[in-house]
Parts: sequence; C-alpha cells; structure tokens
Amino acid sequence: MFQITDQVIDTASLVASIESPSSGALVIFEGRVRNHHQGKAVSALEYSAHPVLAQPEGQKLIDETLEKFPDVEKIAATHRTGHLGIGEIAVSIAVTSPHRPAAFAACDYLALQLKNRLPVWKHEHFTDGTNDWT
Amino acid sequence: MFSPAAAFTMFSRFPTKALLLIGGKSRRMGTDKAALIFEGKTLLERTSATVSSAVSEVFLSVAHDEERDFPQPLIRDLTPNPGPLGGLQAAFAHDPKTAWLVLACDLPLFDEATLSHLLENADEEQSASCFLNRLDGRVEPLCTLYQPTAGPALADYLAAGKRCARKFLESLQPQTFPLLHPLALDNANRPEQLHELKSLAEEGLKEKEVTITYFGKLSAEAPAAEESLITSAATLAGLYEEVRLKHYLSLDLDTVKPVLADEFVDWTTPLPPQSRVAFLPPFAGG
Repeated sequence: MFQITDQVIDTASLVASIESPSSGALVIFEGRVRNHHQGKAVSALEYSAHPVLAQPEGQKLIDETLEKFPDVEKIAATHRTGHLGIGEIAVSIAVTSPHRPAAFAACDYLALQLKNRLPVWKHEHFTDGTNDWT
Repeated sequence: MFSPAAAFTMFSRFPTKALLLIGGKSRRMGTDKAALIFEGKTLLERTSATVSSAVSEVFLSVAHDEERDFPQPLIRDLTPNPGPLGGLQAAFAHDPKTAWLVLACDLPLFDEATLSHLLENADEEQSASCFLNRLDGRVEPLCTLYQPTAGPALADYLAAGKRCARKFLESLQPQTFPLLHPLALDNANRPEQLHELKSLAEEGLKEKEVTITYFGKLSAEAPAAEESLITSAATLAGLYEEVRLKHYLSLDLDTVKPVLADEFVDWTTPLPPQSRVAFLPPFAGG
C-alpha cells in the first residue's frame, strides 16, 4: 500500500499495517532530510508531487517490487510532501518476508525506484539563503 | 571539364555564397542531425538541393576538427569552440567581399520560394536580411543573408565576448520579411520535432486552447506554475518546444515527461483542441 501525505510520517503505523505471524524479517527504511547536499549546508526541503499521478505511480512501484521479489510478503511505503526540516522523514518503507535477504533487497530496490520514478520534486533551501531544484 | 557545380554556376541568379550550418554530432539527436531522413532524403541533401537551385557556391560549416567526408566544400571553424557565430566568422574569413547566405540544414520544410523571396528582395544597403520567427516575431538567424558590411560588425561583436546569433542579428537592425510559408523555418533537431512538423504540414495550423501546469524546476522557470495559452502545436513535443523557447526553460525535451489529462503520454501524442497538459522535470523522490 502506497501513500502520499502532507502529514508527519508515522513509521510505526506503516509497520502495523503489514505485520504478520509468518514474517520472520521486517526491514524498515526511513529517508530523512540531511543537513548537507553536495557540500552545501541544507536548512530545509520542500517536496511537491503531481497531485493525481504520484499515488498510482507509487503503488505501481510497490507492485513491481512485489513481483520482482516473490519471497516478500508485504510492502507499505509513504512519501511526504510539503516543508520538511532537518531530520524529518521524507519517505518511509517497510517490507516483510519470511527470511532476511528478500526483505533487504526489496527495500533497497523500492527506495531507488521511488527516487527515480515517483513524480515528486525536491526544492532544497540552503543555510546561505540560496536554493536549488533537484 | 563539365561538373555539376559548374552547371549550377551557369544558372546561378545571385552573387552570393551559401553556408549551410550542419551542426556538430548533435547531442540532441544522438546522431548528426543533418543525416536525419525526411521524405526519403537527409536534411542536408534536401537543403543543399534547394540552395543550389539559386546559389552556385555552397559550403558546409563544420567544426575545426571535422573528420567526416562531405560532397560539398567545407569551411572550418577557426577555433575549437567558437559558439554559434563561429561558422559566419569563418565564412567572412574565407571571403569577406561576398554576401553570405547562412542557412541551418535542419529545416525540413524550407523551400525554394522562401529562399527566392529573401534573395530577390534583399536590400544590399542593409547589413542583413532575414525573416521573422512565426512564434515570437523576432528575427530568425537560421536563414539570413549577411552583406559584407556584417563581417566587421561580427568581428567587433565577437571581440566583445558576445556569442548569441540572434542578438548579433538584432544588433545589425536587419531588413525583415514575414514568412511566406509559416513552417519554412521551423527546425527539427529531434525525431519528435520532425514528427511535429510532418503533422503540422499534413493538418495545417489549428488554434488550440491549452492549460499547462509546470512542476519542480520548471514551475520556477515559467512565469507561473500554471498558464493558459492558445497554440497551434500539433503534438506535445511542439507545445513543449514552443514554451521552452518562450520562457527560456533550461530543460531539453528528453529530460522532461509530458502528461495529458493526468496520464503519461509520448511526445508524439496529438494535442487535442482543448487540453490540460503538465510538463514534469526529472523526478527526485526520497
């Protein structure tokens, strides 16, 4: 299940949505706002998303990951939009599987796909007052 | 000895030499754009044939280290990276006393009527004669006749560290003509633009109402994140090129994704008469 939200991400509820007794492994990834980017000090980030396409595209990427890693049981992921301060969670991914390797691999794969294929944009604000779109 | 070039000389109507801008190995096409095929001929063959009907001496403008072979004589850039005016600079170095017709070779619908109109009506007292771009009404350097007086002006312009071909042409206060055929100077340096031009040529120019939403970086570069405009673009690619030039957008078409009515589409998708479009720059989630 994929979600786009402008609220603070609660990873615990993400985990609760996919837990099962058969899951011997739970892998969680939180992408957090870093205080630096390419040598410049970051003060905050602003994420924007395509209002219609981001949700279904995110879901497609989860479905694709489940197909690619058949040993994975469930995946939940959420991407945040709006203004985020340093340390806040921009994206959270939770993956369960009976054994560890599939969950780790699937989580890493999905994190990369969300970075490259989710219609979301990042506006970086630097402490020196400049800003940049990536 | 009889040669085709000599035959053209016999029928030449204008005391002008022509310089065809063939571009380098085009980054945008992923190949060299002069070799792009339109209606069975390369763009270079087409343009060369059209120009040879009116001008006897036709040269190709190439990089100073060009290694490819061409049937036409070459004029090499004088320096490794002279910018868009390097060809004209080299042409005036080659012959400062002639008028130079400078013509891009990526104009699929360029025709003899357009060429004749320019050459027949050019006023030799002006430094340059050219057409006005159909979209923004500004002077179009892709097909311009420069008189010898433009040579020294170009030397001054380049010496001042300036490189923009259009601004140089504007600085000459050239004689201008409206286009006889609106699509004659539309360039196509990508397959998507070639498709756009074919569509326009087949269907004609039709006005369409479109609302565009820009995302990410593009929303900061466009005057507003959303705009409504009337366009005659045939496809999404034509519309993007139109706004890219109009707003000086920094992203080329191959890094942008088009969306029509909230669905991802190809650049070659026809633009409906009334449509809602979005242009998405590269994504940056996580």
